[in-house]
Amino acid sequence: MTGTTPTGAASNRLTLDGETVAFEEGESLFELARRHGDAVSSLCFDDRLEPLGACRLCAVEVEGQARPVASCTTLAHAGMVVRTRTADLERHRRILTDLIVSENPTGAAIDSLRGSASQELAQLAGRYEADGRRFGGARSGASRADDANPMILRDYDHCISCYRCVRICSEQQGDDAISVGGRGFRTRITTEFDGLLADSACTFCGQCVQTCPTGALADRRALEHAETPGELAATRSICPYCGVGCSLDILTKGERIVGVRPAPDGPANEGALCVKGQFAWEWVQHPDRLTNPLVRKDGELVEASWDEALDRAAEGFREVAAAHGREAVYAVASGRAPHESAYTIQKLVRVCFQTNQIDNCSRS
Amino acid sequence: MRSADSDLIARWRAEPAPLLGLLHAFHERDGHLSDEALHAVAEGLRMSLADLYGTVEFYHHFSREAGGRDAPRVCGGPICKTRGSDALLAELDGASPMPCAGRCDEPIPVLCGGEVLVGTPGGGLRAAPTPLPPPNPDGLEECCFARVREAGRATLAGYGGSYRALARARELGGEALLSELDASGLVGRGGAGFSTARKWRAVREAAGGPKTIVCNADEGEPGCFKDRVLLDHDPHAVLEGMAVAAEVTGATRGFVYLRYEYPHTQAVLERAIEEARGELGEFELNVRRGAGAYICGEETSLLNSLEGAHPFPRNRPPFPVTHGFEGTPTAVNNVETLASVPPIVERGADWYAGLGLGKERGTKIISLSGDVRRPGNYEVPIGFSLTRLLFDWAGGPGDGRGLQAITMAGLSGGFLGPGDFDATLDEPCLKARGSFLGAGGVMVFDDRRDMVDVARQAMAFFADESCGKCFPCRIGTQRLTERLAGVAGPTQAEAWKAEVGAIGDTMSQLSACGLGIAAPLITESLLRLFPERVDEALARR
Ligand SMILES: Cc1cc2nc3c(=O)[nH]c(=O)nc-3n(C[C@H](O)[C@H](O)[C@H](O)COP(=O)(O)O)c2cc1C
Ligand code: SF4
Ligand code: SF4
Ligand code: SF4
Repeated sequence: MTGTTPTGAASNRLTLDGETVAFEEGESLFELARRHGDAVSSLCFDDRLEPLGACRLCAVEVEGQARPVASCTTLAHAGMVVRTRTADLERHRRILTDLIVSENPTGAAIDSLRGSASQELAQLAGRYEADGRRFGGARSGASRADDANPMILRDYDHCISCYRCVRICSEQQGDDAISVGGRGFRTRITTEFDGLLADSACTFCGQCVQTCPTGALADRRALEHAETPGELAATRSICPYCGVGCSLDILTKGERIVGVRPAPDGPANEGALCVKGQFAWEWVQHPDRLTNPLVRKDGELVEASWDEALDRAAEGFREVAAAHGREAVYAVASGRAPHESAYTIQKLVRVCFQTNQIDNCSRS
Repeated sequence: MRSADSDLIARWRAEPAPLLGLLHAFHERDGHLSDEALHAVAEGLRMSLADLYGTVEFYHHFSREAGGRDAPRVCGGPICKTRGSDALLAELDGASPMPCAGRCDEPIPVLCGGEVLVGTPGGGLRAAPTPLPPPNPDGLEECCFARVREAGRATLAGYGGSYRALARARELGGEALLSELDASGLVGRGGAGFSTARKWRAVREAAGGPKTIVCNADEGEPGCFKDRVLLDHDPHAVLEGMAVAAEVTGATRGFVYLRYEYPHTQAVLERAIEEARGELGEFELNVRRGAGAYICGEETSLLNSLEGAHPFPRNRPPFPVTHGFEGTPTAVNNVETLASVPPIVERGADWYAGLGLGKERGTKIISLSGDVRRPGNYEVPIGFSLTRLLFDWAGGPGDGRGLQAITMAGLSGGFLGPGDFDATLDEPCLKARGSFLGAGGVMVFDDRRDMVDVARQAMAFFADESCGKCFPCRIGTQRLTERLAGVAGPTQAEAWKAEVGAIGDTMSQLSACGLGIAAPLITESLLRLFPERVDEALARR
């Protein structure tokens, strides 16, 4: 975030750490402070969600208030005097971070392939040099090793009860598949009757995975590539599976795809994906995948050269068109084909066969 | 869905705030909340099953095991512990402990399904009526208790036959009533001490509706048992207080949110509401029973609970006075606050204000329990001498004993020691001593008691009851409990004290609601009053 200040009416001004700054109508102190530096952090905040005020890391001092307030749930008002960098606040943030890390001391070992936000706790721990030795005691959360679904790892040993997963499932996805069970230190993330995700209302969109700030929820498919050598790179693309057109980043190590992340700035999806865009990419490098054309000879499929295969296909199409007319040719493009291939196939059908009988399998 | 299930659902779906009532209906009918019942409720009220499951689990008393509802629950509060509740627990088949059940002036309460019995180890269990407050020893004039001891007071006839304060309120009109209330100095008796007139004015002036009055009868604070006396022996005073609130604010509906541990009181209230229909006019009143959660006494958690949502406290602002029950303007008031209103309306602000001592106005009920000769509820003038209450009114400690400590505000105000016994019972004085009067629970511990262990019990209560929403309280109450119990943390005294102080300081500054803000008063006051006890406890470890 940069330190730009919106041009606001003179009445939309307050004092932030001694400076007069303008705020936007409806802006929270957290958003305001974030535009002006990095003093304030949070673990329960996600731009897409209603602020919850749970982690209290974003506490700031507001003159006239008896105690620090959570900046994420406090709206900016004209004339407020706000402090974000006092020694008291820094002490509280350090103690709070130590308390959080005391029940999650393994934060630094979280592979970033687990999810988009998975490094947030580790980064905070680094900032406040919290190594888990201070305030030791019981740890909360128990991983669900029994939930063997192939997509979402439920590694709740790392859970800090920020409820981002529950909120995104409800507020963004509308599935309400997971919820908060128990209370206090025994709070846990659960489904109905403590069951498996597959037996719940979960649609495996993976949004909970991507918002989890600790990696407690993780992309199992991506994690299989934790040991794959190579530098992690991301390439912006668009999901081909349906007409929504979700933006995503394809994660690679060398020549291998190792995961997919929703693009938070995707105009159609704003950081969301569905199960297909999020988890259906493994087939790209599946060993069963054809890498050579096959033609049928004496009823058997055998490998052939591209020239031979294309000749055979052209011959077949010509025969059909000659016998039944050009309308007899109809093409269905695969949702798994890249956009470029989808474009080419419609071109082929329209220009070569002179029909508009072209469809895509994921249209319905 | 079974037809008996759909009948229950059809009945409750037509009611306001249906979830708790419907869950209780299944709980009572089946003896537990079965998977089928939860499926039926989720479908019937169009709720997410996952949400419902998590919410049901939040409450202490909803049982998911067959027969669980009727299994005995034995009070494990700090005072009952001193009277052998652990032994009683061991005697009873299938019994489990519950947090303070609000009968600290009686033998140990045991909740058995729909009734509460009392008993002592080896002594069996028996039913017992809610004790009346002892007569005011100095004959000082009372407000709430002035007529509570009259026979038949719980019936409309015994109450005087009609709601006279309400009739007068209707004559006076809202503005005049608000000035009267303001002049009386009445502030909330549920703990926070907010001006009742200001709260009602805010609801009156808030846009939108229908407006709602909620009587907070959750009384979950350990060591507090005052609201139960008023509800059981003078229910019409509370209902009339609510009706006056409705008159002032324009509210058309009201709820009494009653703690689960007072099953008998539900019947008393429902009977009283039935009797009062003619008095209440358009004001629609309902009783909803909680299901065992201290945090549901916090007003915004209470509102979520009523609405059937997960009972985390809400972020404020907006406050309930503008965005309360179902987002409508709502006044949440404590039982004692509401019961004070009819006498104030009838006898005037000057009379009520004049009951206080010095600059203080009005009275406060103190629930006094533990190591004193005459425990019970005492209505004292605000500003009254603590020593006089402890020693003259309640008779002081038993023979040969000395008083070691008392708690304030139930557990939320932490401890005061003998050096503080010269204090007066009012917020300015108690604030200066690092505590507060709050809901008025005072538990007394004589010199036999292990104060480090009492502190551990108190912190374990807060840890069990922390809703789990905000980090400082959820983790902090756990870490403080572990340190008081000696199962984690430094063993060397200076390091222990520094660490406990640091955790408590951050909790009290950053927690989201009163539970996490107040809980560290326990450790803070322990360290201030009993540093040597802490040293001894650490040396023993
Ligand atoms: C943890 C917690 C528990 C509370 N429990 C109760 C309670 O049991 N009864 C009550 O009247 N107020 C309780 N309160 C205070 C309420 O939030 C609220 O202030 C009160 O009901 C308002 O009524 P009053 O203004 O008449 O006091 C509690 C507050 C907190 C933070
Ligand atoms: S699983 Fe992750 S997102 Fe969900 S509550 Fe735990 S830490 Fe937060
Ligand atoms: S298939 Fe799913 S992820 Fe892909 S574009 Fe459609 S909605 Fe988005
Ligand atoms: S202070 Fe405790 S009880 Fe209150 S919101 Fe935070 S976790 Fe819940």
